[in-house]
Amino acid sequence: MNHLPFEEWLLNNSRITPEQQRDLDLHLRACAYCSALAETGKVLSTAKMATPAPGFTMRFQARLAERKIAERRRKLWGAALFTLGGLVLLMWMVGPYLASFIASPATWISVVVGWLVFIGTTLFALVDAGAVILSIVPKFLPPFAWLVLFSTFAGVGLLWSVSIWRFAQRGAPQGV
Amino acid sequence: MTDENAWVLQAQQGNDDAFTQLVEAYQKPVYNLCYRMLGEPETAEDAAQETFLRAYQNLHRYDSSRSFGTWILSIAAHYCIDRLRKKKFSVFSMDAEDEDGTPFEVADPASPDPEAESVKKEDRNRLHLLLKDLDATDRAAVIMRYWYDYSEVEIAQSLKLTVSAVKSRLHRSRKALAGMWQEEKSRAHPERRSRESLAF
Repeated sequence: MNHLPFEEWLLNNSRITPEQQRDLDLHLRACAYCSALAETGKVLSTAKMATPAPGFTMRFQARLAERKIAERRRKLWGAALFTLGGLVLLMWMVGPYLASFIASPATWISVVVGWLVFIGTTLFALVDAGAVILSIVPKFLPPFAWLVLFSTFAGVGLLWSVSIWRFAQRGAPQGV
Repeated sequence: MTDENAWVLQAQQGNDDAFTQLVEAYQKPVYNLCYRMLGEPETAEDAAQETFLRAYQNLHRYDSSRSFGTWILSIAAHYCIDRLRKKKFSVFSMDAEDEDGTPFEVADPASPDPEAESVKKEDRNRLHLLLKDLDATDRAAVIMRYWYDYSEVEIAQSLKLTVSAVKSRLHRSRKALAGMWQEEKSRAHPERRSRESLAF
């Protein structure tokens, strides 16, 4: 049986002329499918709202309080486990050195001082080398090259910011 | 500024009493959506409570240019869809309560036409049960369209679909419901159906 255009009228809840209404009524009497479509449409249009059992808000408050306590407890446990794990890891890594330091502190102190001196002199050397490069390089590079260099840095920075923003957006739960 | 906007703003600043006002105002629409989606009062209650908890936790993400009602119903719909997909099947109990909280098939004897009222109620219950056979997203679209009078654009925004997808989902669902309705009727009244067939 051809349901057109009656099916469309019923699905779209279209405004129809009295003549079309007459045709529709005739079709509905003959077509069980369109009749079911009309009936379900009528039932849907008179649909009623379901109401929750009384005390919904109070139950929500209780649930929220429970969830907050659980969250606080979870955070506390997380922090405690993290600290404990960190301490164990630290002891595992530092343990052997600590043992040898306790056995001969003088050797260790001289090694540490030697390292500090080495770091200090390296830093001074790097600063001096940097100053020399900075005073020489600008004379060799044309202004256009500087422009390209800074634009590239700015572009990379922008790309990075956009990527972070997009990842942050994607992280939101659905429907929120 | 409306009361609702003021409550949202206060709730965003950490005022739990203001959020409670929002729960009070939206408990019925949220519960109804969950009930129509999941089919059972107990699961609907749980889903509605979870919806409000999610809204509470994500209140800082709420965009005040949108309606709060649309936002919270969107959370409820997505939560129910996820729940149905995880469960893969939903058990609808015939012992469930209807929309007024009264048991199924009880007509009001004080009504001017109790028989007609009883038929209407029966039809609504039957349709409620048929909803379970629709795909979860289709079901959400039908509920938003017919229980909340949402436009196709609003449904598309809430369910993160295109308007044309919403249109086709609504049509498909209406056709599926009509088909199931017709089958149910012919099962319930086989003699009437056979007489109808002879008439054509």
